[in-house]
Amino acid sequence: MSAVAMPSRRRAIAPRFTMTRELTLVAVTVGLTITVGLLNHDFVGAQNLRFMLLNSVVLSLVALGQTLVIAMRGIDLSVAPILGLAAMVCGLLAQTHGLSLAAALPLALCIGLVLGTINGVLVATMDIPPIVVTLGTYSLYSGLTFIYSDGTQVDAVSPTFAAFGNGHLLDVVPIPTPVVVLLVILALCWYVLRHTGFGRAVLAIGNNASAAYAAGLPVTWVRIRVYALSGMLAAFAGLMFLCYTGSATVTAGTGDHIELQSIAVSLIGGTAIAGGRGNLIGTVLGSLFLSVVLTALVFLHVPPIWYSAGEGLMILAAVQAGFGRRGARA
Amino acid sequence: MSVSPTVGATPGDDLTMAKRRRRLFSLGGWELSLLVLLIIVTTSFGLGVPGFFDNLSGFLAMTSNFLPFGIVALGLSLVIFTGGIDLSVGATASLAAVVAAQLWATMGLNIWVASLLGLAMGGLLGGINAAVIVLLRIEPLIATLATSFIYTSAAVAVAGDSPPSGFPDAFNNMGSGAMAWGSFQFPYQLLIFIPLAVLFWLLVTRSAFGRKLVTVGYNSEAARYSGIRVPRVLAAAYVISGMMAALAGLVLSAYYSAARADMGDVLLLTTIAMVVLGGVSIFGGEGRMGGVIVAVLLLGLLRQGMLIAGFSDMVTSMLTGAILIGSIAIRNIFSTRVGGFGKRLLALIRRPAIAGPDATRHDAP
Amino acid sequence: MITARRMLVLAAAATLAIASAVSAQTVDTSKRIKVAMVPKLVGLSVFKANQQGAEAAAKTLNIDFLYTGPVTASAQGQVDVFNSLIARKFDVITTTSNNPTQLAPALKRAMKQGIKVVSYDSDVSPDARDFFIQNTEYPAFGKALVDSVAKYIPADSEVAILSSTKDATIQNEWINALTAYMKTAYPKMKIVTTEYGQSDPSKSLTAGLNILQAHPNVAAIIAPDGASEVGAAAAVQKLGRTGKVFVTGCSNPDAIRQYVKAGIIKASPLWDEVKEGQLVMHVARLAANNALKPNDTFSVPGLGDYTVKDKVIIFSEPLIFTAENIDQYKF
Repeated sequence: MSAVAMPSRRRAIAPRFTMTRELTLVAVTVGLTITVGLLNHDFVGAQNLRFMLLNSVVLSLVALGQTLVIAMRGIDLSVAPILGLAAMVCGLLAQTHGLSLAAALPLALCIGLVLGTINGVLVATMDIPPIVVTLGTYSLYSGLTFIYSDGTQVDAVSPTFAAFGNGHLLDVVPIPTPVVVLLVILALCWYVLRHTGFGRAVLAIGNNASAAYAAGLPVTWVRIRVYALSGMLAAFAGLMFLCYTGSATVTAGTGDHIELQSIAVSLIGGTAIAGGRGNLIGTVLGSLFLSVVLTALVFLHVPPIWYSAGEGLMILAAVQAGFGRRGARA
Repeated sequence: MSVSPTVGATPGDDLTMAKRRRRLFSLGGWELSLLVLLIIVTTSFGLGVPGFFDNLSGFLAMTSNFLPFGIVALGLSLVIFTGGIDLSVGATASLAAVVAAQLWATMGLNIWVASLLGLAMGGLLGGINAAVIVLLRIEPLIATLATSFIYTSAAVAVAGDSPPSGFPDAFNNMGSGAMAWGSFQFPYQLLIFIPLAVLFWLLVTRSAFGRKLVTVGYNSEAARYSGIRVPRVLAAAYVISGMMAALAGLVLSAYYSAARADMGDVLLLTTIAMVVLGGVSIFGGEGRMGGVIVAVLLLGLLRQGMLIAGFSDMVTSMLTGAILIGSIAIRNIFSTRVGGFGKRLLALIRRPAIAGPDATRHDAP
Repeated sequence: MITARRMLVLAAAATLAIASAVSAQTVDTSKRIKVAMVPKLVGLSVFKANQQGAEAAAKTLNIDFLYTGPVTASAQGQVDVFNSLIARKFDVITTTSNNPTQLAPALKRAMKQGIKVVSYDSDVSPDARDFFIQNTEYPAFGKALVDSVAKYIPADSEVAILSSTKDATIQNEWINALTAYMKTAYPKMKIVTTEYGQSDPSKSLTAGLNILQAHPNVAAIIAPDGASEVGAAAAVQKLGRTGKVFVTGCSNPDAIRQYVKAGIIKASPLWDEVKEGQLVMHVARLAANNALKPNDTFSVPGLGDYTVKDKVIIFSEPLIFTAENIDQYKF
C-alpha cells in the first residue's frame, strides 16, 4: 500500500496523511473484527470473513468509479441505474437466449461505456452541473431498465455466471474470484490515477478546473473519459451483482441506493468531495469497513431497525477519524 | 434588516458580486422562461387533456398532490444557497410526522399541539445536521447522508408495527381539504404554500440574512473575513430546512390521513430537481427563490398532466429527467451567448465548468 | 309415452335454457367498461402473473384493461396513479397496496366519484374499497409455511424469519399466524430472530447470510416475501448448508425453481397468481354492474364458486409447490 506517489502539480497533501487514512481504516476494521470476534467466535470464522469480503465487492467496484469522478470534483448518481440496466440486460439475455459469460462481459462494458459517455458529454460540453446531469440520467436509465425488462425479472443464472460470482479462480488459492477481479481492477485504477498523465489531469481538474484549463489540459476530454470509466465500472459491477446474487429485478442498484453508498465509502476512504484528492485503496477499505459494520450489527444482535442508524454513526465516526473531513471552509 | 456594506465585498470580487447582487433583485430571464414554459404547459394540457382543467377548483385541487415537494424545496433552497446540501429531508419529514402522529395516538395529545412538536422536532433534526457539519466539520453531503440513516432508523422505531392513521378530519383537511366559497374551492395546501413562498422570497431577496446566505455560498472564506458569522448562518439554513421538511411530512400525513416511516423517501430527488431547475446553483451562492417556486409548479403540474394524459409513471419520470437536463443545457447555451458567439462556441468545446469562485475554495487545504 | 318423453326432454331443455340465462345475467358484459390494475410496483414477476390472467379475462368480459403502477414501491406513486385514473374516469380500480392506510383517502375520493375499488393480495382500509380478494386465509397460510419446513427438521429446532419490512401488513399477519400455529403444533420449535430484507433481492441475500452466520444452529428460514425467500435460499446455497437448512416462503415458481430442484426448498406455499388475476377481473366486472352484494355468492367459469363475506372474497387454499409439481407452473 504505497499510495505515496503524489502528482507533482499538487502541493497539498503530504504522503503520510494518505497512508494515515488507510492505516486508520485498516486499524478500525481489524479492531472491530477482533472485538466482535471475541464476543462471537463465528464472526472471525473463515466463512464469515470470506462473505464480508465478498459482500463488499459490488459496492467497491461502483465506488472505484465514483472515486475517480469525485476526485475530479464531479458526482455520478446514475451509477445505480447503470448497474441495474447492465444486470437486467445481461441476466435476461442469459436467461432467455443463453447468453454466455464471455459475451456478457463486453456487452456490460459497452452498456456502461455508452451510458457513462452520455453523462460525460452532458457534463463536459454543456456545462451542466454533474449532480443535475446524473439526476436526470438516473430517471432516464431507470426507465430504460423498466422498458427492457417489461415487468419481468431474472430469477436464475447459468452455472458459469454463478461460478464467476462465487467460485475460486484457482482451486489451490481459496480467494474468491470476485475479490481477485476487484484487486486487479483496483491495481489498474490506482496505476492510472497515480502514474499516468490522465490521472494527473483528473486530480488537477478536481483541484482547480480553471487552472487545469489554463495549463492546457484537455479538460473536456478527460471529463468525458472519467464518466465513461465510471459507467463501465458500474456496469461491470452490475454483471458481478448478477453473478453473485443470481438474480436481478428492476430495482437492482436503485433499491439499495448504491449511488449514495458509493459516495459514502469514497468519502470514508479519504477522497475529498471538493475534488483534487482521490484515494482508491481507501475506497475499497471503506467499502470493506461498511460490510464489516453491517455484519457486526447482526452478530451483536442489534435489532434490525437500528442497522441503518449504526451504519450512519459508523460513517460519521470513520469520516471524523481521518481526513474525509473538510478543510477550513466553515 | 440592514445590510452591512462590506458583505461579500472581498477585494477583486467587487465586480462579480455587484453583478450577482443585481441579478438577485431583478426578475431574470431564466425565471421568465420558466414562467412562459409553465403557461405553455398548463394551457396545452388544459386544452388537450380532458380531466386536467374541468374547472378552476378541480385544477387547484391538483396542486395538493405535489405541494409537499414544494414546501421541502423552499427550505432546501436555503441550504443549497450556502453551497451545502441536505440529503436528510426525506428522513426528517418521516421522523417528524411519525413522532407527531404517535404523540397524538399514544399520548392523547391534541393533534395540532402534536404537529407543533413535530415541527420543533424538524428544527431539532436540522440543528443536529448543522452541528455535525459545523462542529465536526464534516461535508454536508456525507453528514446529512449519515444523519438520514440515523433518522430513518428512529422513524421506523417510533412508527412500530402499525403506524398511526385515521387523524381527525380537521387535520386531514390540511392535506386534502379545501376552503369553499360557494362552488369555488381553494385547497388548504395552497393556503399554506403561498404565504410560505412569499416569505421565503422576501427572506432571500430582501433581508440581510438572505444576502448572508448567498455570500456564504459564494465564498465562505470571504464571508468570514467580511464579518459574517458563517456557522450561525449555516445553522439557520439547516434548521429552517429541517422545519420545512417536517412541515411537508405533516402535510403528507394529513394528505394520507396516515403517518409512515418511509413516507418522506420520495421527497429527496424530486425536490433537488425542483431547486436546481429553479436556477439555484448546486455549488451555492447563486439563484433566486422565484425560480424555485415556478419550478415547483412546473414540475408538479407537468407530472400530474402527463399522468392524466395517460402516460405511465415510468415515462413521466423519464421525461422529467430529460426536461431537467435539457432545460439547464438550454439555459447554459443561452447565458454564454451573452459573451459572444465565438466565446460560446469555445465554451461548448472546452470550457471548464468550474470558474472563479471555486478556485478560491480549493486553495483551502 | 311419446308425449311424456317429449315433455321430459322439453322440460330439460327449458331448465337448461333458464340455467344459462341465469349465468348470463350474473355477468352482464353489454357495456364496455374501463378497469385499471395497479400493482405495488411494475416490474415484479408475481404482479406480471396477475396481469397475465387479468388481461385474458378482460377480453371475455368486455373490459378496457390497463395495467399501470409506480416504478418504486411507494404509496405516493400509487396515489398519483389513482388520481390520474380518477381524472380519466375509469369504472373500476383494482389494486394491491403498498400499505393499508396511506392509500385510503385517494381511494375514497375515487369511490365518491362512483368508481368501484377492488383490492387484492394486500388490502387497504376496509372503508376505502368495495371488495377485497384475499389470497388465502391467514391461518391456513401460516400453517402451510410452518408445515413446509417443520417436516424436514427436528421438532426442537431453531427457526429464523426473514420478512420484507417491519410494518408490512400481510407479512405481519402471516408471521402472527405461523407463530400461533407453531406454538400449538410444534411447541418445542423456537423463533430465534426476525430480520428484514426490504423486499430487495440483494438485501435479502445479505440478511440471509447474516442469519445463517450469526445463528449457526438455525435449521430453517421462513421467508414470507417474494424477494426474501430467494435471498434466504441463495444464502443457504452459498454457505453450502444444503440439506442442513431448509427454506420456505411465498415466491413465484420461476424464482424458486432452481432451489426447489436443489433441495433447499422442499415445499413453498403460494396461490395461482394467474388465476387470481382472472378472479380480480370478474369481481371488477360484477362490481361495475352493481351485481355483487357485501354478502353474496357467485361462480366464475373455470375457477369455481366463491363466497363474499363482509366484502371479502377468499381466493383459494394455499397451493404448495414441491419438486414434483413445480414444473406445471410457469409464472
